[in-house]
Amino acid sequence: MSSEIVLRTIGLGKSYRGRRVVQDLNLEVRRGDVFGFLGPNGAGKSTTIRMILSLITPLTGSVEIFGQDLHRNRERALASVAGIVEKPDFYLYLSAVRNMQIAGSLTLRRTPKKEKIDVCLGLVGLSDRAGDRVKTYSHGMKQRLGIAQALLCDPELIILDEPTNGLDPQGMKEVRELVHHLATEKGITVFLSSHLLNEVEQVATRMAIINKGNLIVQGSVDELLRSNANTVVVNVTPQKKALLLLQKMRSASVVETAEQGIRVEIDQKRIPAMVAALVESGCQVHAVIPEKSLERYFLSMTEQS
Amino acid sequence: MINLLYYELFKTYAKWRTYIGFLVVMVVIPLVLWGLKLEGGNFVQRQMGRLQADFLVSGNLFNAWTISQIIMNSLWVHVPFLISLVAGDQLAGEATAGTFRLILIRPVSRARILNAKYAATLIYTASLVLAIAVMSIGLGLLMFGSGDILVLEGGSLTILPESQALFRFALAYALAIWSMWVVASLAFLFSSFVENAIGPIISTMGVIIVFLVVSNLHISAFEFIRPYLFTTHESVWQKAFADPLDWSTIAASCGVLGAYSAALWMATLAIFKTKDILS
Ligand SMILES: Nc1ncnc2c1ncn2[C@@H]1O[C@H](COP(=O)(O)OP(=O)(O)OP(=O)(O)O)[C@@H](O)[C@H]1O
Ligand SMILES: [Mg+2]
Repeated sequence: MSSEIVLRTIGLGKSYRGRRVVQDLNLEVRRGDVFGFLGPNGAGKSTTIRMILSLITPLTGSVEIFGQDLHRNRERALASVAGIVEKPDFYLYLSAVRNMQIAGSLTLRRTPKKEKIDVCLGLVGLSDRAGDRVKTYSHGMKQRLGIAQALLCDPELIILDEPTNGLDPQGMKEVRELVHHLATEKGITVFLSSHLLNEVEQVATRMAIINKGNLIVQGSVDELLRSNANTVVVNVTPQKKALLLLQKMRSASVVETAEQGIRVEIDQKRIPAMVAALVESGCQVHAVIPEKSLERYFLSMTEQS
Repeated sequence: MINLLYYELFKTYAKWRTYIGFLVVMVVIPLVLWGLKLEGGNFVQRQMGRLQADFLVSGNLFNAWTISQIIMNSLWVHVPFLISLVAGDQLAGEATAGTFRLILIRPVSRARILNAKYAATLIYTASLVLAIAVMSIGLGLLMFGSGDILVLEGGSLTILPESQALFRFALAYALAIWSMWVVASLAFLFSSFVENAIGPIISTMGVIIVFLVVSNLHISAFEFIRPYLFTTHESVWQKAFADPLDWSTIAASCGVLGAYSAALWMATLAIFKTKDILS
């Protein structure tokens, strides 16, 4: 896989009425990535996306898309980019097809072909409502139309701001599958924001986490999530007895006792020995759950806000 | 650009609010014509007053041409409101609907999008004025017939021959469009500030009222500023009926009005190009 950088933000920052909402943000999205942009509500995800898509002017820093500076070369930079920002909004008094024509003609400089529109609407399952005014659409349908509209002009980079927001579980699954399909079959780079770690975990290859406008971590999803499995939660009864035993163990160190069990830091290879020791001393081990440190971190972050 | 303009016009004319103006015109004009029909020639007699005793007036002076002037005279205060209804919604409406997020992330410069919107606004304005022209003259010809033109404005009694009607009215309506474009530009500018069309409509009407008051009050303190207010020149269309035509004052008025439109458009462009889209 090539490592060409298709989207880069350099020291990106933005204030609203003097309040910093995005701070010195350096993101790198490579071709072929499904890039998960994770953060709790109000973290600055949409603000960052607005800057990337030139809706607002950054206070500091710059954005480069396909090597083009967004500020200096806006039209070239955005030529093969499409996306949705915040909630999906359309001309409610016009049909889905008309909305697609309006959006698409801005990129193509001519009205997009009818067949192409049909294909895109088909991809998101809106074919049979294509002629209806968007006013009659449900939120989930508008969300799908947003994705269809983004796909219309064969973009190389798609930016989706919380594309599963407001969808039912089935709809969420469909969007995840679609994103996967776009990335693997069509070679489209996808940048998607979310406040759900497990969603990003399921579809993304690389990810960044931001909180209160600051980048917390950025890297490959595998590295960030799966390499950190040396913390486990041991669900065991009776807990008091097990706790004493674990505290005495050389190979394990008890972090805390939580609702789900005892949180222990231990080398993965030593887990069988630990379980054996617990069982030998008469404890019942119900589960040993590997814990992703990032998850706990992300959860504590969302709980704060 | 053609494609952009096409879709801006499409959006404008697909909206129901665009037809409020046409609807008003289609209701009010037949109503006025019907009322005048009932009134009969009395109206003209009042207009001509005692002059009738001194002059020998022949033929039908209570005709489509007279009617059209009456309608223009009474409507040109209300038409700005109908225009700002649409012009004030051009940018604010997209902000309200959130559709800027759909169109301004595309690789087309904001300037081009704005210019297409402005052109669509001017076309709408012209179409509304032309609707008034067609309704008042067309229906007038049907109900009252043709004849010489009795000029209603100006101190003295002027009657222009029927043969000049087409030219005079074409000029009058062209000038009316030119002056209404200032109103459209003003509402368009206000439309770029806010995310709701009510503000631009009220602000536009507010400015017009203030300017009109200053224009029409003959107070010496305001005298020096009057020639520079667009409201002073808004009735430039009436000069299309002067005999002989005073081209230099028409040109001067058109110059002031044109300068207003251009300045308002450029201000809107400057604001819109760098505006943060937060809707
Ligand atoms: N128009 C605005 N004026 C002032 N502050 C704003 C504005 N829009 C956003 N903010 C603030 O900027 C911060 C970041 O908002 P942003 O919408 O980027 O968050 P987000 O990560 O997209 O959140 P969510 O998950 O809720 O969509 C928030 O604190 C928010 O209150
Ligand atoms: Mg958001």
